[in-house]
Amino acid sequence: MAPDTPPPASDGDTDGDRAKRAAFEREALVHLDSVFRVARRLAGNAADADDLVQETFLKAYRSWNQYQPGTNAKGWLLTILRNSFINEYRRRNRHPETVDVDAVAPYAVFSEVQQEDPQRAFFDRIVDDEVLRAIDGLPESFRETLVLSDVEGLPYQEIARVLGVPVGTVKSRLFRARQALQAKLYDYAVGMGYIKGRAT
Amino acid sequence: MKCRECVEQLYPYLDKELTPPVETEVRAHLEHCHPCHDQFEFEALFLRFLHARTRAQGAPPELKEKIVRELLEE
Repeated sequence: MAPDTPPPASDGDTDGDRAKRAAFEREALVHLDSVFRVARRLAGNAADADDLVQETFLKAYRSWNQYQPGTNAKGWLLTILRNSFINEYRRRNRHPETVDVDAVAPYAVFSEVQQEDPQRAFFDRIVDDEVLRAIDGLPESFRETLVLSDVEGLPYQEIARVLGVPVGTVKSRLFRARQALQAKLYDYAVGMGYIKGRAT
Repeated sequence: MKCRECVEQLYPYLDKELTPPVETEVRAHLEHCHPCHDQFEFEALFLRFLHARTRAQGAPPELKEKIVRELLEE
């Protein structure tokens, strides 16, 4: 990456350049926070996430003529982000995968907390960082599905498009990812003494 | 609709991904079935919790400035 340089004099800017930039800022750059959050969860560290976000917006800007105005710019950007991640960053990815999604019994947490914490007050005591850490421990395909849905609020169809998988796959990954995350956070809450936990 | 069928639709219902007829069936079941109702409430609370705990982080202002600068160089 080149060192920071002051922006060049914009003398060479045509009206077309300015219009393109204005449209890009209006339609694409407004999604910066979303792209950043997804990048952060995919990349696993801040430096890679920043590079990934910059690269995404640069690539998007260069292929702006392929974007159809009024269509889902967020989904389009997230697709570019994910492709960049897979092609250039994934091998450097150092995610500690600590959640075994296959080992989670469906709806186990719900039945556990029914008895002892009907107000579900333990949720209030789990902080942001702990939730993000738990998400980072999910296997990649589950992590990306959950982030697109539960953090960014994309509909199933849009997630399927970004990930290039059928909607049915999105549904089943989402189910397992949420259940695994819930189990992980429940174990954490028990460990912290927020709730008593199942008798062993 | 039986409890088992209802629970199968739990997340699609909460994600508002069901077709209107199925959604109506699920809602009708939840109105008279306490166990399913409680389970749906719990999962709805979990999803709200998840959303609320993961959205505070936004892109740092320096990153936005850097991107805008790069666009000017294009």
